[in-house]
Amino acid sequence: MTALKKPSLTEAELVLALQSRDSAVLKTLYSMYSSALYGVITRIITHTELAEDVLQETFVKIWQSAENYDSTKGRLFTWMMNIARNLSIDKLRSKDFKNSLKNQDIENNVSFVDEQNKVTFNPDVLGVKQLVENLKPDLQSVLNLVYYKGYTHVEAAEKLDLPLGTVKTRIRLAIIELRRSFN
Amino acid sequence: MSVENLKAYIESGVLELYVLGDLSPEEALQVEEMAAQNPEVKAELSAIELAMEEYAMQNAVEPSAAVEAKLFEKLGFEVEQETVYQSNTTIAATEPKVVRLDGSDGKLRTLRFALVACIALLVVSTAALFITYNKLNDAHDQIASLNLDKQKFAGVVRQLEFDKQGLDNMVAMNDSKEWATIRMAGQAFSPKSKMNVYWNKNDKSVLINYVAMDLPKPDAEHEYQLWALVNGKPVSLGVFGKSDSTGTEALQKMQTIQEAQAFAVTLEPMGGSVNPTMDKLTVMGGV
Repeated sequence: MTALKKPSLTEAELVLALQSRDSAVLKTLYSMYSSALYGVITRIITHTELAEDVLQETFVKIWQSAENYDSTKGRLFTWMMNIARNLSIDKLRSKDFKNSLKNQDIENNVSFVDEQNKVTFNPDVLGVKQLVENLKPDLQSVLNLVYYKGYTHVEAAEKLDLPLGTVKTRIRLAIIELRRSFN
Repeated sequence: MSVENLKAYIESGVLELYVLGDLSPEEALQVEEMAAQNPEVKAELSAIELAMEEYAMQNAVEPSAAVEAKLFEKLGFEVEQETVYQSNTTIAATEPKVVRLDGSDGKLRTLRFALVACIALLVVSTAALFITYNKLNDAHDQIASLNLDKQKFAGVVRQLEFDKQGLDNMVAMNDSKEWATIRMAGQAFSPKSKMNVYWNKNDKSVLINYVAMDLPKPDAEHEYQLWALVNGKPVSLGVFGKSDSTGTEALQKMQTIQEAQAFAVTLEPMGGSVNPTMDKLTVMGGV
């Protein structure tokens, strides 16, 4: 499915179809949200192959645990994004991932290093990245750790040697900046 | 919960952590309860969610197409199954169309026949027109050639009438005995030529008869001049035209001459000459 004619349904329609096990809706869901979710995953896991595995696992989990989603608790995308983030973080901490780092063939090293340092020039993203970079450095470093690196706020506090409350406030301020820019 | 406490709760950043999935299950449950009880919390939560969703949309990265195929394979949604599903929807979507076409089928067929008939008629008409046009052309050619024939015959008839008149005159002159016929023979300039001159013994008038002459056709700048030799001197009796003169009269009256020993004809420039051009002496004959 190309970006040109993405089918789109309202969230309510999607949820209804998803929870009534209509397999066609997963296609729709995939074409609507796969790139947004992959954007989240690929910032936490820069290795393309592993990131794609996680994307696949994310949709499998969305399909299998659709009945667990409760629309009163939040938006569908938030739920899907959290599945993607949690699976990414799990993958990052798994033996699987660590082994994949260790067991690289010497020939593959160059491409692997390239993959690790890959810079994607998604034109849609450029403005937003700049926006994040325009944040005050203390806000930026917190958002980087929590959103891009998959740290919990507790880990971020340890890493930055800050009180938990400060980390939380900074995450809030950073997101308020985002909200302001989208309005 | 008081307004101040609510504000403090919202500003603590716990809602953001909730959206980021960074809370323990107990903490998350607490946030959900707060949201259910306080519309302000619910609204703030929604705003954060929307911001994060928008942010994710804007940071979207297109995965490779292979992932989708692998995913649906893994979930057991066969590709064939997928296409069958799609084609079913296609059939369902096109079904009303078929029904609609059925309704106007007879009319459509009639129109189609009419179209075919029109085309056939057009082809036949074009062929007929072409044939008629050719026939018309033939007819025009025939008319033209008939006209030519008609003109030719008219010319022949005129010539015959002209000749007959000349011959009648000759017969009449022969019968009357008062006309002398002088036969002039061809000279060196034109040996084959010959011509008669008729001279009335009573009133001395001179006639020539176009039927009774055989002279080469003169060109446009020349005409024949009749001379009478009177005591060795040429006297002009006038000019005359071509042998097939356009005049309807076969006879042409020349000037009278009282006495002459001989007649002669020379070819002279148009209008005639005062003295005969002797090297153009065509015919001559004595009385």
